[in-house]
Amino acid sequence: MSEDLLEVSNLVKYFPVRAGIFLRKTGNVHAVDGVSFDLKQGETLGLVGESGCGKSTVGRTILNLLSMTSGEVRFEGRVLGDLSRKEWRSLRREMQIVFQDPMESLNARHTIGRILEEPFVIHGMGTPDERRTWARDLLERVGLPREADHRFPHEFSGGQRQRIGIARAIALKPKLIICDEAVSALDVSVRAQIINLLLELQREMKLALLFIAHDLSVVRHVSDRVAVMYLGKIVEQAPAQEIYDRPRHPYTRALVSAIPEPDPTRVRARIVLEGDVPSPISPPTGCRFHTRCVYAAQHCREQLPQLEDVGSERLVACHRWREIESGAVKGAAEVKLSEETN
Amino acid sequence: MSEPVLRVEALRCGFDTEAGYIRVVDDVSFELEAGGTLGLVGESGCGKTVSALTVMGLLPKPAGIVESGRIFYRGDDLAAADGKAMGRVRGREISMIFQEPMTALNPVHRIGRQIVEALKLYEPGNGKSVQRERAIELLEMVGIPAARQRLREYPHQLSGGMRQRVMIAMALAGRPRVLIADEPTTALDVTVQAQILELLRSLQAQHGMAMLFITHDLGVVAELCDEVIVMYAGRIAERASVEVLFRSPLHPYTHGLIRSIPTPDMPAKTMLPVIEGVVPQLTEMPAGCRFSSRCEFADDRCQNDVPALRGSGTRHEVACHHWERLRE
Repeated sequence: MSEDLLEVSNLVKYFPVRAGIFLRKTGNVHAVDGVSFDLKQGETLGLVGESGCGKSTVGRTILNLLSMTSGEVRFEGRVLGDLSRKEWRSLRREMQIVFQDPMESLNARHTIGRILEEPFVIHGMGTPDERRTWARDLLERVGLPREADHRFPHEFSGGQRQRIGIARAIALKPKLIICDEAVSALDVSVRAQIINLLLELQREMKLALLFIAHDLSVVRHVSDRVAVMYLGKIVEQAPAQEIYDRPRHPYTRALVSAIPEPDPTRVRARIVLEGDVPSPISPPTGCRFHTRCVYAAQHCREQLPQLEDVGSERLVACHRWREIESGAVKGAAEVKLSEETN
Repeated sequence: MSEPVLRVEALRCGFDTEAGYIRVVDDVSFELEAGGTLGLVGESGCGKTVSALTVMGLLPKPAGIVESGRIFYRGDDLAAADGKAMGRVRGREISMIFQEPMTALNPVHRIGRQIVEALKLYEPGNGKSVQRERAIELLEMVGIPAARQRLREYPHQLSGGMRQRVMIAMALAGRPRVLIADEPTTALDVTVQAQILELLRSLQAQHGMAMLFITHDLGVVAELCDEVIVMYAGRIAERASVEVLFRSPLHPYTHGLIRSIPTPDMPAKTMLPVIEGVVPQLTEMPAGCRFSSRCEFADDRCQNDVPALRGSGTRHEVACHHWERLRE
């Protein structure tokens, strides 16, 4: 398994909930609860799920922007938790992150040139002249004019700012970039441009990407494999096309069926989930999805299904996926749907 | 064809800014029919929301200026009507829901009080208990479980999807004939979006409202709308029925927009077809076709002459000098 660039095992991140005048700890938000995956050089893993499922927390915990509660992250075989400050700092060059809103991560008072030179300054690289040239090269690489280096972040549109965010992320030639909803806030035409830029850079630099997003159709397009999260756990993982064409977990099925497709002639059976996502402070017992699952049976309420390897690079955490796939059980929603079509 | 419920004619409006007056909506016309859904699509800043706000008479004053145009509601000219007449129509006859229900709801008042407040306006004769029952009825209509208890809750105690349901309930309190929905599902998760779209569809079927649905998401348009208007930089680029628009778009912008969305048939990790460049700044619009700076077909004529919106078949209109090239 030495070819894995990133190995995440049993990652757990709880946020304490405090209440009362002494801010006594009254519980935990189970943001990430035992997440494992790996990522190879040049590969993209898509991490999807809805608000609050913990996908962004996974990204931030890997980079130690949040400290993990337990678990282990290995990068090129080295356990990140064991590193000294100095080692961590040099390793941090290899791992970068691009956020949804680059305006929040770009210092509004600094010129673009200064923002892009900063990583080189921090790591003591080059002379001022060299750094200036490198910054301009980066701008050119992400499709912005070289002269843009003396302008300020607010002078750019959302798409251009995201290009700057990407330029900064690739400055130190990292091996891994975590894209945290990096294209989610962009307009459709700009989004396509940024996706293409990421695909190009990945090919050129053999980047590994952890692509965190809620938009499954975008994730399918950019990813090799996709992991679906629900309430802090991965419920299914599969090659990207497979998860879209043959989802196995009932939650993934609902998620895929809910994607509005830009094709009025394509009529699909929609599984509309009832209710809301339960609170991550006291997640349901057993399978966390059972409160909204149309297939839930007694043992789903009691036993937590493990993420099980079901062959052909597919993992599923559901007690009943085989029965569901073979059509042996029907959920309430499916019954309703077939009645409507009759 | 029946008389449209709402007809907007040649709307021009914009804002006074430090840099002078900027026109944001330029010559926009459309019609809404009872029971029908018209989609207004386009990217940020294309003028779709400003068009809707103008119809509602909600363009912020004094910066917002309606230069010209007429808005007919069931034959009456709303633009000519004084503020009072507009107030009678707004909410009761034409209602609107927004993207972020949290900013539209008052955070310090209970849900029940806010709905009753709206009901007092529309049904002033009713006593307290009747209003309460009506509020519960409305919440049940939009699929909120345990409606009676929910009346006592504050907006922050509800999830995003539930808040949007409350907004819809309030918008429907006056039994409007026209519902304007401005990106009502954009801030929601996709499974919740599916719930809300389903709800809007069934409410429309029950009440026969006309709906103007504003969105940037072509997927949502394909699912919900009967007709679509595509806007680019303040102008209408194309108008067609939803099937025609997706099957044979005639404006290069529409065509590019549809192609730039990843679909399941596209091989993964391949380059998406893109529209190069960015939307020009409102202060630096080309004199002719506003899409000319990004269009592969653009020539001198496109740079200088504004293409008129014209028909190219039944109810399919396009504003492009070269629309025939896409038909080929």
